[in-house]
Amino acid sequence: MKIVAVTACPTGIAHTFMAAEQLEKTAKALGHEINVETQGAMGIENELSPEDVRDADAVIFAVGIEVEQRDRFDGKKIIEVEVQEAIKHPKAVFEKLGA
Amino acid sequence: MHHEHTFRCPLPNGLHARPAGLLADLAAEFNSDIELTNERTGAIANAKSVLSIIALDVNLDDACRIHIAGADAEAALAALSDFAANIMPKCDDTPSTPVIDDAIKLPRLLLKAGIRLHEGTPVSAGIGQGVAVTAHGSTLPADLDGEDDRSCDEEQRKARLALASLRNVLKTKLADRLSPAEAGILRAHLSIAGDVALEEKIAELISVDLSAGQAIMQAGEFFASRLMEADSAYVRERAIDVEDICQQLLEHVLGGQFQAAGIELTEPSVVLAKNLTPRQFLALDKHLLKALVLEHASTTSHTVILARSFGIPTLTGVANLRANVPTGREVVVDADLGVVITEINAIVRRYYQRERSKFARRQDRLARHIQTPAVTRDGRRLEVAANVATADELAPAFERGAEGIGLFRTEMLFMGREEAPSEEEQLDIYTRAAQAAGGRPVIIRTIDIGGDKPAPYLNLDQEDNPFLGYRGVRIYPEHRDLITTQLRAIIRASAFGVVRVMAPMVCSVEEARWFKGLIAEIQMELKAAGAALDPAMQIGVMVETPSVAFILDQLCEVIDFLSIGTNDLLQYFLAADRCNKKVAYLYNSLHPAFLRLLAKIVEDARRRGCWVGMCGEMARDARRLPLLIGLGLDEISVAALDVLALKAAITRLSAAECDEALAAALACQDVAEVDALLDACDGGGAARSLLAPELITTDSDSVSKEEVIKEIVDSFHVAQRTDDPLAVEEAVWMREDIHSTALGHGFAVPHCKTDSLAANSIGMVRLKRPVEWNSADSQKVQCVIMLAVRESDSDGTHMKVFSKLARRLMHEEFRARLLGASDCEAVYEYLTEELELPRIRHTPSALTGEKP
Repeated sequence: MKIVAVTACPTGIAHTFMAAEQLEKTAKALGHEINVETQGAMGIENELSPEDVRDADAVIFAVGIEVEQRDRFDGKKIIEVEVQEAIKHPKAVFEKLGA
Repeated sequence: MHHEHTFRCPLPNGLHARPAGLLADLAAEFNSDIELTNERTGAIANAKSVLSIIALDVNLDDACRIHIAGADAEAALAALSDFAANIMPKCDDTPSTPVIDDAIKLPRLLLKAGIRLHEGTPVSAGIGQGVAVTAHGSTLPADLDGEDDRSCDEEQRKARLALASLRNVLKTKLADRLSPAEAGILRAHLSIAGDVALEEKIAELISVDLSAGQAIMQAGEFFASRLMEADSAYVRERAIDVEDICQQLLEHVLGGQFQAAGIELTEPSVVLAKNLTPRQFLALDKHLLKALVLEHASTTSHTVILARSFGIPTLTGVANLRANVPTGREVVVDADLGVVITEINAIVRRYYQRERSKFARRQDRLARHIQTPAVTRDGRRLEVAANVATADELAPAFERGAEGIGLFRTEMLFMGREEAPSEEEQLDIYTRAAQAAGGRPVIIRTIDIGGDKPAPYLNLDQEDNPFLGYRGVRIYPEHRDLITTQLRAIIRASAFGVVRVMAPMVCSVEEARWFKGLIAEIQMELKAAGAALDPAMQIGVMVETPSVAFILDQLCEVIDFLSIGTNDLLQYFLAADRCNKKVAYLYNSLHPAFLRLLAKIVEDARRRGCWVGMCGEMARDARRLPLLIGLGLDEISVAALDVLALKAAITRLSAAECDEALAAALACQDVAEVDALLDACDGGGAARSLLAPELITTDSDSVSKEEVIKEIVDSFHVAQRTDDPLAVEEAVWMREDIHSTALGHGFAVPHCKTDSLAANSIGMVRLKRPVEWNSADSQKVQCVIMLAVRESDSDGTHMKVFSKLARRLMHEEFRARLLGASDCEAVYEYLTEELELPRIRHTPSALTGEKP
């Protein structure tokens, strides 16, 4: 599967990136392609383009705050989880996708 | 009308606690005569007298009878029986929770200790622990016996007269316009002075052949000791009132002044006092004096200034001091947080053990600045000197890194005595100072006395406006002998070291010339008499009056140096009294107008080759250093305790950046703008690396989450990456309270964003024994890494490191390496490599992560 994700936690220093790392690791282990955008204290990194979103089979939000520029994902099926969940139980998150 | 009411005392502690006060107050509302009888003993008391009720000694279950006679007896009966039935039984309820003022910020560890704290205003920093010792304001003359052949009648008469006089005095005072607090105290005093039971007790004691003085003393002790035993602070307060009243009565009976009491310390102690004279303070054994708690004192009182010089933690404004802090009990005074702790349980004990050790480490780290001058990263020097008031303070000041004495205040030598000190006495003091300085300069300021500083033998008139009045250099011509004696001693002392002399309150060139002329005259006389002296002794003036700023071209022809006294200069310049609560907000040295004034002073002086120092409160705040360095001052002079931290702070700053900061500040429109500017200044923090071995601990014995977080923040504090560790802790907890930062696998990553941090930092603690991090989950934590970033920081490089670290923590191998590394150095090496941090050469500053 082609997956895109956004991670964003309140302080934006640690959990945002930890969640991104976990999602990337786990996706790779499960044989998926993934592209993760982080919205942290430095702002948006690895910003997902409209093409990235259009081509994606699924969208994961691992967030504790509002996602910026959320309208990019209109029309897509989004699985939204707590940042903690992505860090602690990343496999379960992917299971939610039916993947 | 007569009415009666009977009841049994329902109180375990009897009727000598709070209920007595409530009952007396209630009874006093009615005109009827109200008597309370203790049927067990048969004693009868006037129910309107607290002391009488207490004296009845009503115990639990004693049958009591209230007898009411008068026009409003019925109303009184209703009220009193209601009191007995409904209010009295609840009187001894102890307060349910410890009273902690929400306004004070406390570390989580202390909040969890669940103890009662008493808030006060810190005026001298630090932490002290010791046995509480109360200093009494005055001693009673040893001989209270009065004349040998006194008669009972005569003594009774004296006592009655004293009581009557005192009541009159109090009534007269009450007629003045007073604050509600003062009026309350006076009324309480009046009610005690008018308490029938007190009068009777005194009379009773006189009738068994005591003198009036002794009777008053013993009557006072009788009532005060009963009241002091109460749990309720309200009642204990009355005991202090009783003591106060008896003191006053004794003064009426015996007349004359009492001596200020000396205080003998026999063990590590915390001294409590309403107020303390500088003399009393100096007489205390400093090795045993661990802290000071004063009921009244302002930050500029001389005793407080001395306390700072000697590094004695001091609090003022602790409410109901003597009621709340029992003599003889071990207490902790935390003058950093601003609290007195009277219950020392295991948590508190451990907390303060760790605080002391942290303080020691912080001092050690500062120690390398002791011998070296303070120079910015790009080579600009700012001398850091100390302010002192006695010769004894010099050695400790130099031990703490002072490069000289920027201000030796001499007033204290002249105050609190019957006559001015002699030339020889002064010579001894100035000589000792010059010698203790061992070649470092000592700037002695000649006597600065006026309306606010008492020296009765000078016979200075009371003035309506002493701060704009006859003081400082203005009194010298009329008191020529006084100033001549002092100058002779200073000039003679100049033979023994580098002595400089400075005149206070100068506002014109004429005054400076007069001062200099007098010195020249004295030098000639002394030389002719064969005395040794330094003919090149430098002469300077304080800059306190704004006028000086505009005549520096002329003044600098006459004098060699200036010292800016910001306290007074700011007051005179902004026309605001720092002690006046309504206008104190105007008294802020960050006012752009004041900064412009300072800039002009320094510039004009330096253009004329004059050395400029600063010796006011403005100099002690490290946060303002960029402005002081930007101004181009030659020296700042502060309390000895503040020297090292300032020197360390200077070494981290860049003079070029400071120049920019000052230029920007001078263009600001108000204090808020300047404040924001200073907030953005990071004190050179950007130049510091994120990680350093001193921020890593691999063998921590912390036992709780609170301890771990504090331990890491403390390491930032010791490393001088923050001056406000409590604020950093709060920021961490703010994040932690939202959601636990436990990651699983034995790791946790607390983090925060705050400007209370001078430099972005990573701290790590590896625990000897795993600690619970999240109560919701059974997993414990072995390794804690804290990421702390400045709010106003826009440096992406550091954030990249943080995000890299966060990602690496998701990998088993990375975590295993951290858990298994042998020591701090190993962890430091591994992290530096993995996170691609810049390498620092191995120099002493390598330990601290400061770029050389």
